[in-house]
Amino acid sequence: MALLEVDNISVHYGRIQAIHDMSLTVEEGEVVSLIGANGAGKTTTMRTLAGLLNLSAGKITFDGEDISRTKGHIRVVKGISLTPEGRGIFPAMTVMENLDMGAYALKDKSQMAADFDRVFDLFPRMKERRKQLGGTLSGGEQQMLAIGRALMAHPKVLLLDEPSMGLAPQFIRQIFSIIRQVNEQGTTVLLVEQNANQALATAHRAYVLETGRITHSGTGKELLANPAIKEAYLGAA
Amino acid sequence: MTSPIEDAAATQSHLDEQSERPKRGPFDGLARRWDHLERWQQWGVLALVAALVYLLPVLNPPLITSEPSNDFPITCANMAIYALAALGLNAVVGQAGLLDLGYIGFFAVGAYVTALWTSTDSTFVKIPYLWTLPLAMIVTVFFGIILGLPTLRLRGDYLAIVTLGFGEIIRLLATIIPALRGQVGFQNVGAPPGTKSDGNPVFANSSGTPWYWLTVTIIILLMVLLGNIERSRAGRAWIAIREDEDAAEIMGVPTFKFKLWAFAIGAALGGLSGALFGGLNGFVNNQKFDVQTSMLFLAAVVLGGAGNKFGAVIGGALVAYLPLRFTGLAEYKFLIFGVILVVLMIFRPQGLFGARNHLLTYASRARRWLGEKTSGSGATAVPATEESSS
Repeated sequence: MALLEVDNISVHYGRIQAIHDMSLTVEEGEVVSLIGANGAGKTTTMRTLAGLLNLSAGKITFDGEDISRTKGHIRVVKGISLTPEGRGIFPAMTVMENLDMGAYALKDKSQMAADFDRVFDLFPRMKERRKQLGGTLSGGEQQMLAIGRALMAHPKVLLLDEPSMGLAPQFIRQIFSIIRQVNEQGTTVLLVEQNANQALATAHRAYVLETGRITHSGTGKELLANPAIKEAYLGAA
Repeated sequence: MTSPIEDAAATQSHLDEQSERPKRGPFDGLARRWDHLERWQQWGVLALVAALVYLLPVLNPPLITSEPSNDFPITCANMAIYALAALGLNAVVGQAGLLDLGYIGFFAVGAYVTALWTSTDSTFVKIPYLWTLPLAMIVTVFFGIILGLPTLRLRGDYLAIVTLGFGEIIRLLATIIPALRGQVGFQNVGAPPGTKSDGNPVFANSSGTPWYWLTVTIIILLMVLLGNIERSRAGRAWIAIREDEDAAEIMGVPTFKFKLWAFAIGAALGGLSGALFGGLNGFVNNQKFDVQTSMLFLAAVVLGGAGNKFGAVIGGALVAYLPLRFTGLAEYKFLIFGVILVVLMIFRPQGLFGARNHLLTYASRARRWLGEKTSGSGATAVPATEESSS
């Protein structure tokens, strides 16, 4: 059984339907990418999975449990952590305080020193900046902080919403290498990206989202080789 | 090690190393010195300040006094009541970041609870005045939850509009409902018991000092209580909600519950201050509970520094004091407060005292980590990565 199963979900903003009968699965240990253009519903999907938006139809199963109606703050405890689009760090809190908030949901905090070390191993830059306010970090540093903060909650699955948004190309490569590293350490990753090339190259499997519907799915390699996807998302004719 | 990460981050960063918390202004310096005092020294300073605060109406200092135009002890009592209201509104606006423009509604409910259960004009069962204080809090918390349950799902501007409506609804109900006696109001609202040697009551409407002492004592107790809440998980949750509500939710903060809590605490303090206001004046009618007073409370919180309870208390006291001290200018108080707020927002947007998000001070595990790592190993590790990246 898959770790995360999304079964025919629909999501509405008022009367506008943003997600149409979407189904996808994420197996334990995978990196799964969800690619698509602006307005395809990628962020809506992630916010729905994190419990910030309500389903109007369908079912979400996580770790064998129906979480369709579970509130966002409970889903963190169950093991779903979101790094939201635009990073969503707390600007007036320091790096350490942001990371500390990341562990808010943890009942057992005995591991926390080790957790800080783990984040600082992944992002040595965060260690240097630990006393700096989140709002004064650069875009790339904020992204590191957002990922680090999400990891503090010991997620079973990490939802990453556009981690490469607004970053320098050189830095984008580094973020993807971090994502692979996090995955190798045992965290399942669901990744939403506009940067299709990197996302498909990193993912075991991927889904293509168009106007709220899944139109293609397959392994990362298959989709990279698919001519229709090449033309639409990879900028090659 | 992965030095390209450092490299890339360095190119992304346009900030210097020492850009930590911005600190400026005389009050920040004061705050820093305060933080460096030992615990017993802090208590000593607090005791001295408390003594001065308690003696204020008795000392009746020249220049500061509002006499001859307004009796100074009465002025002090009003300052304390406004300070208490501002303290409550600060829990809502400053701590949880919920813009409440109808706070006067809770103040009014508190005053009417006291009037209904103690005034000779009321047909209700009479109970001792002091019992009406907790009763006013219970009733306002009830109103707070009734208002909060549907509206706290709204964000920012919408919440402000609904609360603005709530304040007006309460005022209009006081006008419309016959039992609330509109402008005629309630005379002889009760007071705490006790008579002086000359047979007059201690808590007379003409003597502000006992009312002031009572209110200041309540404020001090509540500040200790609120301080403890702020240092708990609830305090961290509030700060997170204020900063970014969605982010707080996905960190595991039950945002709705904590917003409702903040709202209920604010409502309780608003009701309590209203009940004291009713008792002090000995008279409650529908004239004092307009939108402008809501704005004054909000101005008090912003002036003192939203999120700082000490600042809110000072702000509340100032907002009550200035029009009573400078009666000639009282007519223009909204103009003057408006100008002060505009100037303040330009030069010191965090308010006179400003919020101090000392999360770390309370997050003991984070602090312990810092203690372990920075006292030695951390200092040497950092330059090493700097070298490899350059």
